[in-house]
Amino acid sequence: MPDYRAFPAEGARLLLWVASERGRAEPELQAAQQLAERGMAVWSLDPVSAYFLPQLPSSMDAVPAQDMADWLRAAQAGGKRVVVYAVSRAAVPVLRAAALLQPVERQQLCVLLMYPNLYTVAEPLAAPDFLDVGNLSGLQVRVLQPRRSAATPWLPGLLDHLARNGALASQVVLENLREGYWMRETPTEFEMTESRRMDAMLLRELNDWGCQ
Amino acid sequence: MKRLLIACALGLLLNGGAQAAGFAARAATPAPELKAQDLAGTTRTLADYRGKVVLLNFWASWCPPCLREMPSMERLRVEMKGRPLAIVALDSAETPEEVNAFLSKMKLGFPILLDPDGSNTRRWKVFALPTTFLLDAQGRVRYVLTGPTEWDEGEALEAIESLLAELPVRSKQRESKRLTPQ
Repeated sequence: MPDYRAFPAEGARLLLWVASERGRAEPELQAAQQLAERGMAVWSLDPVSAYFLPQLPSSMDAVPAQDMADWLRAAQAGGKRVVVYAVSRAAVPVLRAAALLQPVERQQLCVLLMYPNLYTVAEPLAAPDFLDVGNLSGLQVRVLQPRRSAATPWLPGLLDHLARNGALASQVVLENLREGYWMRETPTEFEMTESRRMDAMLLRELNDWGCQ
Repeated sequence: MKRLLIACALGLLLNGGAQAAGFAARAATPAPELKAQDLAGTTRTLADYRGKVVLLNFWASWCPPCLREMPSMERLRVEMKGRPLAIVALDSAETPEEVNAFLSKMKLGFPILLDPDGSNTRRWKVFALPTTFLLDAQGRVRYVLTGPTEWDEGEALEAIESLLAELPVRSKQRESKRLTPQ
């Protein structure tokens, strides 16, 4: 798989960090490094750059799901517990790839989605329409949703959509944060602090979740 | 560090994500229900503004584009004083404390409504902030804008004036209908 950075570690868990359509930001790489120092290996992937696509949400829809599925299998073949962490529209290729796995492979995967965007259409006064991401039966998915987001009131509908596709979906709302808080033009003090401790946030959420 | 400008607006980030938001004229359709409390705890509905053109703005205090356009809404309120225009700003899914903290920094003369559970936001299918609806005096949605604008000038002011200009015409039509023998 092209254009990824590996942060090796000796621990039993491997985090596949899939950056958003906006690409990788420095705090994300720092968090990956910090996770590795704490024993969790990280493979950091920037799919839009990897496929020379423009930094647009729709670009994520063009990332080949089969390539992503191969990448997931390669990660699982290493013997570590594999967790995928996908940001924003990166949820689309990740979920589509998970749908291509064998049921037993899919059930061994844990997927964290940071403010996932799975809409095809979301226009005022019209009911939202979600992308078809395929059969997610047995896939454990946890959505991390910053509270300060226009998407927060729509979280129940998103979870319903994931569940209808077979995922075991749950949510955590991240208080006092906005989407992409680590790369904001005008971050709050709290957002700056949280940007520096994304590693701790991810470890906390993974441990609280207990995806096994 | 790579700095990126991120819209609050989820809708702006969808398939046509790079496109700028613009006014969308709509065929006149009845507005969804609006039922929300103001900061004094009084329940407000669209019926409170019937007979007026309504600018209904969905916003949040954490949303920079929302805050950027607020001063122009306040200027519009002052300029339109005495004319049948109601400006209503509905805060999406925040607590009264968060809204009041913001209002202590920016003085606004138009009513602020609260939607702490997001029910109005969902009913109006608002996926991005700010989103603004212009309603005619019959309570029908006529224009929708996703994203911020300067409300006291240009296209926004033209849209408002066009709805205000309909008022006497509509009134005449109603009067004419009323006088027509059945």
